[in-house]
Amino acid sequence: MRKLFVFLMLIGLAAAACIGDELAVGAKAPQFALVNAIDGRTVAFRPGDGKLSVVVFTCNQCPYAKAFEPRIIELARQYQSKGVTFYAIDPNDESQYAVESLAEMKARATGRGYPFPYLKDGDSATARAYGARVTPHVYVIDGGGTLRYRGYVDDSAKPEERRTTGLSNALDDLLAGKPVSNQTTRAFGCTIKWKS
Amino acid sequence: MRRVIVSILFLAASASAAELRDVRDPAKIKDAFPAAARLRVVNIWATWCVPCVAEMPELRAVATALWPDVALVGVSMDDMIPEATRSKVVAFLDKQKISYTNLYYRGNADDLAGFFHFEGEIPVTIAFDRGGKEVWRHQGAIKSADTIAELRKLLRRMR
Repeated sequence: MRKLFVFLMLIGLAAAACIGDELAVGAKAPQFALVNAIDGRTVAFRPGDGKLSVVVFTCNQCPYAKAFEPRIIELARQYQSKGVTFYAIDPNDESQYAVESLAEMKARATGRGYPFPYLKDGDSATARAYGARVTPHVYVIDGGGTLRYRGYVDDSAKPEERRTTGLSNALDDLLAGKPVSNQTTRAFGCTIKWKS
Repeated sequence: MRRVIVSILFLAASASAAELRDVRDPAKIKDAFPAAARLRVVNIWATWCVPCVAEMPELRAVATALWPDVALVGVSMDDMIPEATRSKVVAFLDKQKISYTNLYYRGNADDLAGFFHFEGEIPVTIAFDRGGKEVWRHQGAIKSADTIAELRKLLRRMR
């Protein structure tokens, strides 16, 4: 019986190592230090740095992520002036999809004027640590390093069909010193192309 | 003899262009199934979804092997993308020789996910019995051999 229990535990750990459990709201956010495709420099995020931060897992190839790109840029410009830091992270495996290489990421970010670093999560480890599933998948972390929101940017990529604004709602609540009214939403998009 | 007739009817249906009807209300999706089907399989997908595209031949194989006991209905979520068009989905289905009913979902994605209890990742494939009770589910791309075996097992249990 004990052997069976240990075996099941090992299977569970192995599964968790492949795709992490999604980080729970209220949990401490994982730190990361990743290369910024735009300038080749390493950008480090240390949760608890006192800044309200947005981590967006996105990529070059996913049409749904690309549909949200202008909205993420718009929100970054809007909220950076209020002291919010944005990090865009591409966790897709470039050995399977050349369009996810640093060079392609740089071309996309500079071509569209990303007002935030575009970081390469080359081994998908950061996405696993956050439990991200799809692109785009959004996380909001408060100044103390605690996750306060996870899910979608908005519930629709079409502005005329938008009913709820997950990311901006969370940022507005936190900037007003209030608890986030809608802490988790369903992130839709393309499955992350994991580095195995 | 019955099998030969069924196969001929299926091939005749396969030769026609893909049918793609609009749907806004997730609750209406069940109306697309033929009354005779003992198992009703919903596949939620999009042409922009890499694993969804990869599994299309597998779904076609399942539909061919198990029709008419099992009926498939595809629900395209292409319309989530602002530049999506129905014609692109029809062309894709024709190219893939998909002849089972497909629906073009025009409602809110969150409503669809809430109705079918999935977390936003597609493809997802769900089987229901005649009473509308969920009896099987697969998240991610299916493999036809495994899915045919699973659905046959369910059909045997329903006898």
